[in-house]
Amino acid sequence: MDENAFLFAKNLHKTYRKNAISTPVLRGVDMEIAEGEFLSIVGASGSGKSTLMHLLGSLDKPDSGEIYFRNRRIDNLSADKRDYLRNQEFGFIFQFYHLLPELTALQNVMIPLMIRNSVFSWMTGGTSSKQRAIALMERVGLGHRLHHLPSELSGGEMQRTAIARALIGNPSLIFADEPTGNLDEETGKEIVDLLRELNERDKVTIIMVTHNLEIARGTHRIMKLVAGHVEIPLDEQPFGVLPEVFPVVRPKIFNELPDEPKYQAGSL
Amino acid sequence: MYKLLLCWKYLRTRYLAMVCIVSVMLGVATLIVVNSVMGGFSTKLKERLHGLLSDVVLEAYDYDGFTNAPAKMEQIRNDPFLSKEVEAMTPTLEIFAMLQFTFREVPFTRPIRIIGIEPEGRKAVGGFAEHLVNPANQIKPTFEMDENARERYLIKRATRGIDFPGPREAPNLNEPPPPDPPPSKPHDSLGVILGYAIAHYRDRNAPADLPNKDVRTLEPGDEVIITTVSGAKMSPVFDRFVVTDYFKSEMSEYDSNYVFMPMAHLQKLRTMEDRVTSIQIKLRDFNNAPKVVQRLKQLFANAPLEVQTWEQKQGAVLAAIRVERSILNILLFLIIAVAGFGILAIFSMIVVEKTRDIGILKALGASNGGILTIFIGYGLLLGLVGAGLGTLVGLEITIHINDIEKFIASITGQDIFPRDVYYFDKIPTDISPMGVFLVNLGSVGIAVLFSILPALRASMLHPVRALRYE
Repeated sequence: MDENAFLFAKNLHKTYRKNAISTPVLRGVDMEIAEGEFLSIVGASGSGKSTLMHLLGSLDKPDSGEIYFRNRRIDNLSADKRDYLRNQEFGFIFQFYHLLPELTALQNVMIPLMIRNSVFSWMTGGTSSKQRAIALMERVGLGHRLHHLPSELSGGEMQRTAIARALIGNPSLIFADEPTGNLDEETGKEIVDLLRELNERDKVTIIMVTHNLEIARGTHRIMKLVAGHVEIPLDEQPFGVLPEVFPVVRPKIFNELPDEPKYQAGSL
Repeated sequence: MYKLLLCWKYLRTRYLAMVCIVSVMLGVATLIVVNSVMGGFSTKLKERLHGLLSDVVLEAYDYDGFTNAPAKMEQIRNDPFLSKEVEAMTPTLEIFAMLQFTFREVPFTRPIRIIGIEPEGRKAVGGFAEHLVNPANQIKPTFEMDENARERYLIKRATRGIDFPGPREAPNLNEPPPPDPPPSKPHDSLGVILGYAIAHYRDRNAPADLPNKDVRTLEPGDEVIITTVSGAKMSPVFDRFVVTDYFKSEMSEYDSNYVFMPMAHLQKLRTMEDRVTSIQIKLRDFNNAPKVVQRLKQLFANAPLEVQTWEQKQGAVLAAIRVERSILNILLFLIIAVAGFGILAIFSMIVVEKTRDIGILKALGASNGGILTIFIGYGLLLGLVGAGLGTLVGLEITIHINDIEKFIASITGQDIFPRDVYYFDKIPTDISPMGVFLVNLGSVGIAVLFSILPALRASMLHPVRALRYE
C-alpha cells in the first residue's frame, strides 16, 4: 500500500444496527487511489460499495479503521472539519440526482458556494460565482437550461446539473454513487463519457460506484466488493480498455468525429 | 447565504405555511384591538374620575369633620413647598342624606350624598362647574334660581301646605330648653343642585330616533325635602330646598347620588359651627402629588385628617380595571400559543418532507447549525410576517371601530354598544405603541420557540439515512 496515495483507507469496518439485529456491511476493506485516477467500485447489491463510498466521502464514520486524504487522517475529524472537507475538497453525484426542487438549475449548481459563503460575503463577492456556475453549465451542455426547475429537466439533464454542482467548488475528488443507475443506456453512456472527459482533460480524480461492469470497464481501475470484502487485488486490473471505448460514444456529445461502429458487448 | 435563499423559497412555495401566518395574524390583531379598546375605556374612566375628584384631598376620619379649615388652608398657603405646588383649595362638607319629592302625585325617596360647597371655590378646584347643565352656571356657579325657575317656585309654593321650621339655633346648655318648639318662620327655600340622574330617568319605550329620551322628574323651581343627621347628637334634621340646576358628569356613581348645597346652610342645619369634612386641593402639576401628600402628612400629623391623592381614593376601581386587563391579556395570549402549536405541527411535517433535501445539503457541506438556522429562521420569518399583518389588521380595525360597530349593529339588529349603559357616544380606543410592540415581540418569540424542536430534529438527521429516505 502506497502510504503517499491521494486517498487511502485501512481495514474499514462498518456494521448497521437496528434494534437487536446487527448487519455487518464492511468487514475489513483496504483501498487506495492515486491523484488523477478514475476508480470504479463494483459489486452486487448489498456488497457494501455505497457504504464504502459514504465512509470515504466522510458522510459517515467507520466503526473501526482509518482513512487518509493527502496524508492526513480524516475519519476522526470533528463535524465542522468534515463539513469543510465535503464542501471544499469533495464533490458528490448521486443515483437520484438529489437536486433541491425549489431552486433553479443554476441555483442548484451554486449551492456549494452559497454554503461556503455568508450572506455578506456573497452579496459583496460580485458575480464571479454566478459566472463560474454558468460556465460550468455550458461545459456540461446545459447553457440553455439555466433557469429551469428540476421538475422541468430530463433525467440526463438533472444528472449533468448535479455534475456541474459537484465541480463548482473546485474539488480534488469526486464521488459518483451509481450515476447512471436511473438513466437509460444511451444517456448513461453520455454521462460516463462526460466524467471521463473531466478526468482526462481537467485531471479530476473520480471514484465511481456502479453495478454495471460495462461502464466500469471504461475507467482506469476496477475494485470489486463481495460481501464486505475486496475481491480482485488492486494491481491486477486491465488498463488497456480505454482507447477502444472512447471513439464510440464521444461524437454524440461533441459532434467532432463521424459515426463509428457501435461497441459490441462481450467482444472484449 | 444558502440559508437565506432556502428560507425565502420555503416561504414563497409552501402554502401550508400560510396557515401559520394566518393564525399568528389573528392572534396579534385580536390582542391589539382588545388592548386598545380596554385601554381606551380605562383612560376615559381615569380622565373622568380625575376630572371629578380633586388631585389631593384632606379628609376627616368621620362625619363630624374637623375645625378651623381656613386656618389650615392658610397653613398650606404659607408653606414654601406647598405654596408652589397648590393651585386652588376649597373646603367641603359631605354627609349622607335622604331626598324626598313628589312626581305626578307619587312620592319618591332617594338616598343621596349632600356636598356642602362654596361655589366659587369649588369651581376653582375643578370638576364641578363644567358639568352643570345651565350654561350660566358653568361660568359663575351659584345656587340662585333663574327667572323661569323662580316663577315656577312661587306658583307651587303658593299652593303647598306647611312650611318646615327653619334650622334651630344651637342649644344653650346653661339654660333650660324652651317648652315649645319655636314658631315656624316662612323663609325662602335655598337652592340645591341635583345630580342629573336623580332628576331624570331614561324612557326605555321611547322611539329609537328620539335624541333626548330622558324624562324629567324635577324641574328647576320644584321643591324637595332633604333629611340628614346633625353632627352633635346624630339626630335627624331636615329642610325644604328648591332645585336650581343639575350636575351631569356622565358617571352614574356621581349623577345619581350627589346633591350640592351652600356649605354655610348645611353647617347650620347640622349644628356643626364651622366644621368641614374635607379640603379639596388642586395642584399645578399632578405628578408631584405623592410629594405633596407626604408634606401635608407632615404638616397635619396631629390633626384628625387623612391625606390622599385621587388615585388612592379610587384605588379599588382602577385596580379592578388593571386586574381585568391582565387576565384578559393572558387569555388572549393563549390564542397565539395555539398558533405556536400549529407551527410546531406544520414544521414537523415540513421537516419530514424535506428529509432528503436536508441530506443533500449536509452532503454538500452544510453544518448541523446551518440546518438548524434555516428552520428557526423560517419560524422567525413566519412570525414576522404574521405579526406584521396582524398589526396592520388590528390597527385598522381599532381606528375604524365605530364604523364597524354600526355596520354590525345594522346587520344583526342588535345594539352592540348601548349608549345609555356606557355613557360614551363613541367606543373609546387608546393605542399604546409599547403595547403593540410587546404583542409583536411576544408572538414572534412564540413562533421562534415552537420552531426550535422541529429545527433540532432536522439538524440532527444523519446524512446517509436522510439521503436514503423515500
